[in-house]
Amino acid sequence: MSSRPRAFVTGIGVVCAGAKNVAELRSLLAAPRRRFAPPTLFPCTGTSAGLPVAEIDGLPIGLPTDSDLPRTHQLALLAAREAVGSGPIPDAIIVGTTTGGILRTEAGLKAGSTSPDDYRFHGLDTVALCLAQALGIHGPAMTISTACSSAAVALAVGQAMIRSGLAQRVLVGGADSLCRLTFHGFRSLQLLAPDGCAPLDANRAGMTVAEGAGFLLLESAPSRPTLAVLAGTGLSCDAYHASSPHPEGAGAALAIRRALDDAGIAPADVDYINLHGTGTPDNDAAEAKAVRAIFSAPPPMSSTKGLTGHPLAAAGGIEAIIATVALGDGLLPANTGLVALDPALQVVPVTAPTRAPVKTVLSSSFGFGGNNACVVLQAPTEQTAAASTTSPLALPALRVAGAACLTAVGDLAQTWEALRRGGSAVGFVPDAAFAKSVVAPFARRLKRLPRLMLALAQKAHQTSGISGPPGLIAVGTAWGPLAETQDFLRKLFESGEQFSSPTDFIGSVHNAPAGQIALLLGATGPNLTCSAGDRSFAQALLCASLNLAAGGSALVMAAEAHEARLSPLFEPASQGVHASDGGAALLLLADDSAPGARLRWLGESGARGSAFLDGLGLREAADHYDAVLVNLAAEFSSAAKNELDELAALARRGCPVCPIIAVRDRLGQHASVAATVAALAARAVTEGILPLTESPLPLARKRLLLLDLGARSAAVEVFA
Amino acid sequence: MTEATDSLLPELARKLVETLGLDMAPEALDPNAPLIGAGLGIDSIDTLELVVMIDRDYGVKIDNRAAGVEAFASLAALADFIRQRRPATSA
Repeated sequence: MSSRPRAFVTGIGVVCAGAKNVAELRSLLAAPRRRFAPPTLFPCTGTSAGLPVAEIDGLPIGLPTDSDLPRTHQLALLAAREAVGSGPIPDAIIVGTTTGGILRTEAGLKAGSTSPDDYRFHGLDTVALCLAQALGIHGPAMTISTACSSAAVALAVGQAMIRSGLAQRVLVGGADSLCRLTFHGFRSLQLLAPDGCAPLDANRAGMTVAEGAGFLLLESAPSRPTLAVLAGTGLSCDAYHASSPHPEGAGAALAIRRALDDAGIAPADVDYINLHGTGTPDNDAAEAKAVRAIFSAPPPMSSTKGLTGHPLAAAGGIEAIIATVALGDGLLPANTGLVALDPALQVVPVTAPTRAPVKTVLSSSFGFGGNNACVVLQAPTEQTAAASTTSPLALPALRVAGAACLTAVGDLAQTWEALRRGGSAVGFVPDAAFAKSVVAPFARRLKRLPRLMLALAQKAHQTSGISGPPGLIAVGTAWGPLAETQDFLRKLFESGEQFSSPTDFIGSVHNAPAGQIALLLGATGPNLTCSAGDRSFAQALLCASLNLAAGGSALVMAAEAHEARLSPLFEPASQGVHASDGGAALLLLADDSAPGARLRWLGESGARGSAFLDGLGLREAADHYDAVLVNLAAEFSSAAKNELDELAALARRGCPVCPIIAVRDRLGQHASVAATVAALAARAVTEGILPLTESPLPLARKRLLLLDLGARSAAVEVFA
Repeated sequence: MTEATDSLLPELARKLVETLGLDMAPEALDPNAPLIGAGLGIDSIDTLELVVMIDRDYGVKIDNRAAGVEAFASLAALADFIRQRRPATSA
């Protein structure tokens, strides 16, 4: 085996329908009983009356202070606290979520509230921020939003973080609450089973949407008994369709194969498969084909969604915990809900909880956008329990092979030129700059954000001169496809919560643009979407840096699309004369010795005030950089005063004085402006001049520090 | 009654083009040509979008595959499908 650090699972925490902690989950798996019923969280009458979901009753059950938080946050806190327990504080947290605080946003929109306070939890980032604050986590607080594979993708990123030495202790998982968006969205797709889901059944009629949270503590050096080892992960993208799986399960099979290879095991080594198994006709058919393609003699398998329902972004976390219970208890969980097995699937599920030795489990999660993630968990053994220690490493710098940006004044060349002449790029991207640039059969349905993103991706890919698709796609977006979200909820409320648009639902998931980019470029590699406020671009870069193999290529980008009703509610301070949107895309290469600009992710920190520079390892930064480009949202301008003072003091120590440049004055207010800054900085270090000051600044060191300053801080360096 | 029947076809054509954002005039839709899998580029998501529209605007449900095949055979077939199942409206 390799000598790199391994990810030991030393803590688990769960809340799902029927279980509010791990002990209850163990009992539930040993004696399955399900209680699916119509939702009580929002009215369901008329067309949706009687449709069952798997709702968790009895919330709030956390600390009294939690009760002000939205439901997703409460669920996440419950599971995260159980996973960490009394153990040491994690270095980092990675949360998979698709809903965030949308249940509360829906209530605000339904009531016609125009108070931004009612929408302060809308950002997906708020879940990770809430957990980081509650648990005292100072390092990266990441948010992965890849629909129903989110938590499993978070596990893969967490494993990469441990292996890289970047962190010794990472809390990973996912959380989603029930909400109108997912319930009515899946209903409009006719994917909800009228009588509750029956995975693998001949008469299966869809899924049962659910809620929950599941978190696992990964450690490189176990501080307490090891429950399991996260031995391998595999990510892939179908690059086939926005919402339907590849009919032959090609993407699913690719993810399974990658996870097994990553774990260094053969298919025959797997003792149990926890299927994605949603109970929709298409998923189960495609997944069964994928399993049969990889396993000539498939091991025992089951879908546990007949018990828990489908908790969407939390599924991969909850099911990794079920896998851990299977390993620890020697239990093969039942395929609850099955009445008559579908013979066409040609697989045989476990029909009742069965005691058997389990050493290796494969768990699969698949989501919209053809986003696939598989994880391999193994029982701890004498050998694996030998602790490995490693010191934190700098992540590799990635070379910029292609770049594109879109601002109010046009593309990268036009933006550069406008800035060089002393102008600004503040404002919204004109439709003419991107609307017609992407010709794809599915373009008719796309609204502003996916069109912006596709245009950026295509341009960055073209300018790179690379012929094949990028090996990895990492997309950042703080707010996701807002027009789709707004249109979906508007139509829903206009019809008295009866009718909604399936097109808008599919388009509203944060990873929809990334899936469309994969489709456009034929990219079947890992496909990640990070939604972490102003740190979204930095986190997309981190994902690429962690997961890119030597010689690999990654499309790393971030963008936002302004939405007339929602943007002012979500980012009130960023409206007015500086309101903007747009973004940028970079085609990056790993381990490439050619000359050119390079990007390196340096750090993310929750440390504030005088500790903030140390948190990012930037105490000596003034002597290394030509300038510090500060990305500070209007929302945080007063909250970040101490950090700005620290920066000013740092700049004065530099020789010559290192200028601090506030980029949003010239580039506008939007959460993904960091990507635009990166694209401009890459050109600046190549040309030796930076057009972001009153007169262009010559760059003697050809090295710029990009700093995102907001709820947390993140640092990226760009150099040539 | 006759007047209402006659107006359903052009009304459906207009709603179909609007709902799906098709880049064509409603009059250019051939009432007897297949709606799905032909030149219009209408796929499964579009079909579901139309299902919602037909339920909302006409109170007619298309919730199984057989009904879908019948309803979406052509624009004329869709109009017939709706006429046959439409709840009686108070005149």
